[in-house]
Amino acid sequence: MSQLAFYFALLSLVSVGGIPSVMPEMQRVVVDVQGWMTAVEYTQLFAIAQAAPGPNVLVTALIGWKIAGIAGGMVTFGAFCGPAAVLAYAIGGIWDRMRDAPWRKDFQRALVPISVGFIVSGGYVLATPRGIDWQSALIAGLSAAVLYATRLNPLWVLGGGGVMGYFLF
Amino acid sequence: MVEERRWIAPADFAEVLALCQFLPGPNVGNVSVVLGRRWFGPLGSLVAFAGLMALPVVWVFALALLYADFSSYPGVKAIVMGVGIAGGGLFIGTAFKLAKPLAQKPWGMALAVACFGVISIGRVSLFAVLPVAALLGWFAARRGMV
Repeated sequence: MSQLAFYFALLSLVSVGGIPSVMPEMQRVVVDVQGWMTAVEYTQLFAIAQAAPGPNVLVTALIGWKIAGIAGGMVTFGAFCGPAAVLAYAIGGIWDRMRDAPWRKDFQRALVPISVGFIVSGGYVLATPRGIDWQSALIAGLSAAVLYATRLNPLWVLGGGGVMGYFLF
Repeated sequence: MVEERRWIAPADFAEVLALCQFLPGPNVGNVSVVLGRRWFGPLGSLVAFAGLMALPVVWVFALALLYADFSSYPGVKAIVMGVGIAGGGLFIGTAFKLAKPLAQKPWGMALAVACFGVISIGRVSLFAVLPVAALLGWFAARRGMV
């Protein structure tokens, strides 16, 4: 349990770009390294977190739950939110005073390509638990295209994915 | 908060959101911490964060327990799988939106593609990739390349 808490606290501090960025790393550890669940189960937990009302950080609670029950879920969720929240608290105070500092703009520009690469990775690992087959590629590709090109509420995209999943898998 | 209660100006809110999207951690969670602090100090942060997360946590556990009961049905499993893959697609769509300003920046594009390659295909740990990528991004930004 303390190992879980420590690992999720570390993850918290590298989650630049939010939850999507750490999904590959979490999957690597809980599926590849520790073997606590399969890649399919991992994507299913993510699906439940997406379908529930609330922010997608809830997936960290479900991963802990799968590994060590409800208590495990509270530990992973708390460990993931805590360090980042403390950091946000500290930075929130100094950020306003640095409004015109040139390094701030550099910092933000530097993070754009990195976040893009990380977030695409998050989507990729979640969409390919079955490997790369045409069904997964179709669902993921359509979902990405709809989000990119329209202003449709993402909940419809998730619902559409569920319907396609029912008929394709 | 912006439209109904007018607690904060739209531009100000956008600024806070931009900051929180680049800070590590859950974006909305960070917004609640930063705004809570601004108005009521540490206790404000704590209350805002707890208020934001308490109900969703209960919901998600309820849904997970429900799913555990029904996961033996192949139909349910297929639907949940489809939702998960669609969610992955949403991340990809989000990233492409975020990547729009990179269209004219080949170095930025190359860095994004490299990050994707080593993480998704190479399965390298984020803890190894982030420091290297941050360093490269920083140099590129200083030279106006991204």
